[in-house]
Amino acid sequence: MLAWSTVRERWTGFVGSFVALTLGVGVLTASLVVFVSAQPAVPDRLAGAAVIVQSPAGGADAESYVEYVPWSAQRADDLAGTLSAVPGVAAAVPDRSFYAQLVLDGRPVGDPQAGDPIGHAWSTAALAPYHLAAGAAPTSDGEVALDAGYGLAPGSTATVLTATGPRDLRVTGTVDGPGIYVADAELAPGVRAIGLVLKPDADPDAVAAAARAAIGDAGTVVAGDARTALEPEAVTRVRWLGTQLITVMVVLAAFATVFVMASTAALNAYQRRRELALLRAIGATPRQTRRLLLGEALVVGVVSAAAGAVLGVLAAPVLGDLLVRAELEPAGFAPSPSLLAVGPAVLTGIVVAVAGAWVAARRAARVRPLEALREAAVDRHAMTLPRWVFGGLSGVVGLALAVLTATSDGDSALTMAIFSAMALILACTLLAPVLIPPVLRALTFPLRRSATGEVVRESAGTAIRRTAATAGPILLTVGFATLILGMVKTMSPAFGGEDARALGVDTIVTADGTPGLSDAAVAALPGTVLSGLSTQVFVDGTPVDALGVVPGAVPVRGDAGALTADTAVVADPRWQAGDTLRLTFPDGEAVPLRVAASVEPGTLTTPIVLPRDLVRAHDPSALTLTAYVRGVPPTAVPGGPGVRAQDPLAYTAGDDEDQLVWLFVLVMVGMSVGYTSIAVANTLVMATGDRRRDFRVLRLSGATSRQVLRMVGAETALVVVFGTAVGALVALPALLGIRAALAEMTGVAVRLVVPWPELSVVVAVCAGLALGAALLATRRTLHHAQPR
Amino acid sequence: MTTGTRRAEAVLLREVRRTYGTGDAAVTALAGVSVGFRSGSYTAVMGPSGSGKSTLLHCAAGLDRPTAGTVTIGGTDLGGLSEHRLTTLRRELVGFVFQEFNLVSALTAAQNVALPLRLAGRRPDPVDVAAALAGVGLAERGGHRPSELSGGQQQRVAIARALVTRPAVVFADEPTGALDLRSSRQVLGLLRAAVHEEGQTVVMVTHDPMAAAYADRVLFLADGHLVDELTGPGTPGDPGFAAEVAARMARLEA
Repeated sequence: MLAWSTVRERWTGFVGSFVALTLGVGVLTASLVVFVSAQPAVPDRLAGAAVIVQSPAGGADAESYVEYVPWSAQRADDLAGTLSAVPGVAAAVPDRSFYAQLVLDGRPVGDPQAGDPIGHAWSTAALAPYHLAAGAAPTSDGEVALDAGYGLAPGSTATVLTATGPRDLRVTGTVDGPGIYVADAELAPGVRAIGLVLKPDADPDAVAAAARAAIGDAGTVVAGDARTALEPEAVTRVRWLGTQLITVMVVLAAFATVFVMASTAALNAYQRRRELALLRAIGATPRQTRRLLLGEALVVGVVSAAAGAVLGVLAAPVLGDLLVRAELEPAGFAPSPSLLAVGPAVLTGIVVAVAGAWVAARRAARVRPLEALREAAVDRHAMTLPRWVFGGLSGVVGLALAVLTATSDGDSALTMAIFSAMALILACTLLAPVLIPPVLRALTFPLRRSATGEVVRESAGTAIRRTAATAGPILLTVGFATLILGMVKTMSPAFGGEDARALGVDTIVTADGTPGLSDAAVAALPGTVLSGLSTQVFVDGTPVDALGVVPGAVPVRGDAGALTADTAVVADPRWQAGDTLRLTFPDGEAVPLRVAASVEPGTLTTPIVLPRDLVRAHDPSALTLTAYVRGVPPTAVPGGPGVRAQDPLAYTAGDDEDQLVWLFVLVMVGMSVGYTSIAVANTLVMATGDRRRDFRVLRLSGATSRQVLRMVGAETALVVVFGTAVGALVALPALLGIRAALAEMTGVAVRLVVPWPELSVVVAVCAGLALGAALLATRRTLHHAQPR
Repeated sequence: MTTGTRRAEAVLLREVRRTYGTGDAAVTALAGVSVGFRSGSYTAVMGPSGSGKSTLLHCAAGLDRPTAGTVTIGGTDLGGLSEHRLTTLRRELVGFVFQEFNLVSALTAAQNVALPLRLAGRRPDPVDVAAALAGVGLAERGGHRPSELSGGQQQRVAIARALVTRPAVVFADEPTGALDLRSSRQVLGLLRAAVHEEGQTVVMVTHDPMAAAYADRVLFLADGHLVDELTGPGTPGDPGFAAEVAARMARLEA
């Protein structure tokens, strides 16, 4: 009850904790709701197949996704025949899909992911099942049935874009589900799944068992929830990206909340040491004192966790929508709140609140009753043992990593530079009480002659705890912002741009609104065009990315020019020139191919380069991702639908992946700035209220209100400058280290990019909030402390 | 703890020494003081700044531990008691009135008075709390928070709180230091009434001869030694006695 009374009465001291924790639990709840909702799902278009037979799993690709080795059309038909004889199976339908996109008014509609094509054989519509909304099913070449949503009536002509180019087809019917359906998917590569439509009373598990017995190890039979394995890789990848962002947000929110809670609790307990000492004097045992503070934290924790949960549940759909729009969650994703998501979030909030107050409560419990009788003036013990231990440890680790950075190379140097900077920033934050007096003295040396300056200098220097509590979060944020923003900006141009220039490329053409360029689009390009069809082949079951290029026109160095119409060139240490590789193509056909030449790994964009015609023959859906044009500037390249021409540098800067990284970075920096602002504003509001007596003395000694405000303003600005300067200084060596590592890796000089605009925003937000909070709180305090 | 079983000496100090720091920097605050405070007595402790009067109070109240010597409160030797045991003993046997910041600002006057009982795990009887507040003339103010009370009223709430547990001794550290004359007289009168009407024991540190003149006995400290003692005439705030106390103080400070 005492805890409840103090929280209710001294609410100003808890506002910061409340806001921080409410936001923290809000972010956590929203993220967890999204996370829990974002589970793999059976693709809608296969939902009607209670049992699905997958082609055998191959190895994992470069991004650790398991790829399935396709069956050839013939093999799939044989298996479907075997499977349709299994008792309980009404139909066994091979899933035959290919790249197709409708062109309306000269623009491709939608932007289907390469791994999740919407062109299908009409027979697969039975697997959803989708039905005709109007008209008839396509029965011959040149006919198509379309999603009714496109608005094309039966009888009209549809322009359908495929890997070879646009083609006009006659619409025979419309369908009540998504997709473009043709009579026989001759454009489809191999088959990776056969859907079994069951008879009405068949038991899926029994059918699955019978199917397993029927086909042996020719494929994997899945039923029920296990069918989520059929989710297209593209969708899985998108969700994986979303999960990454969510994880970053959750970790950041949790870290920042604990940080704010702990520092607020410490300051709160420190400010109330007289009251706590009084309680101790009149008979509260250390245990009772500790329980009081933990009780307060519990009250704050429960109230703000509840508020945060409500906030989070309300924010979850917004977050889900944003993620879908940023293409970090599959389209149609809608988060739904569940106890599984909200429960842990609320619990975490309460635990964080109590844990944050734990150290402060333990310290406060040791307040000696005598302190109630003393005028507490100067901070004597702003440095605590944990600060010394963890600060010292971080410093040592940071310095050790910095030394290691210099002696290691490439990737590991990069990682070490980052960790070194992080450790040093953390060390500076923890050791701030030790660093503050000398640095402040140096910074304020010119101020020592004016009266205001002297007060500013002395009070910022003596109230180390307050100064550290304000400067700490700023230092942390500016340090991390400098490091991360600088790192991303420095790294982006380092990759890609130089390569393209070295090849004498004037224009880079990429797809716009389609997953890749069709053969027709590539053929229409002027000048000398270097391009390749992207595909994936299996070597002994292991998926390998491959590029199909015209022999003799290979945009690569050295022996790679040795490619002929019936050989391969490899850039992978597993294979040598003269080896014969048995390649399984996306159409399921296996082709033996001799290796004409082997080049240094990394000198080609893919581990295997193949003749273009061979790729086209065995992968009807293969597209050209990038075409390099020599001798023609971007402006002279005809635009056309689905084509974007850029000069090499603009291309590098506008890279999709970079933009994604940039989005991640902005979310991280934005959240850190937000939390810093809360921490700083809270600290200043709390600390300023505590200085009522100081202000009164100043006013009584003849300082005008304006002078006091100016003093507080100057003091706050000083602290912000301190935090900014130290934060930036600590991050700079790491950035220089990263630059050196990059230069060594790429072999070209790398320019250090400091993103001044973004950094200025970060510092401005910190400074603005700090000044605003300090001045408003001072004005309020002055109002209450008129000299009498 | 009932009044009937109390020893004659509510608080007894024997050869109490207290030094701060070590080596050359060592400062002796108390240089071997032996003194007893009889049950039902009202004692004022005076002395110039740095004479050790605050240290004496802290040691006698169990807030500070002597470097040497023994302190007994209500017959219990404080030496060797754990912090927890010392706290519970203070809760049962000692009441405090400080110069300022006596009350928990988040609690009402009545809640502040009941606090020592609640900390001891007892359920405070509202009648007792109301009686304690009425005893200091604040029966109507139980629901007010400290910020809504004047300085004098706050000190009276503090006295009610100090007395509510019926402790063996009440220590008052400059209880009138921050008050005007009228409020000071009220507070001093209340402390005296507690002694003479309720049989309480009060030890008060003050630098104000007027305040000291309310006590039955005045002790003078200088340089950590007990140097003098005066016994009052029995009338509260007797101007002659006050003048005599002031004269002794003047001599000590000279």
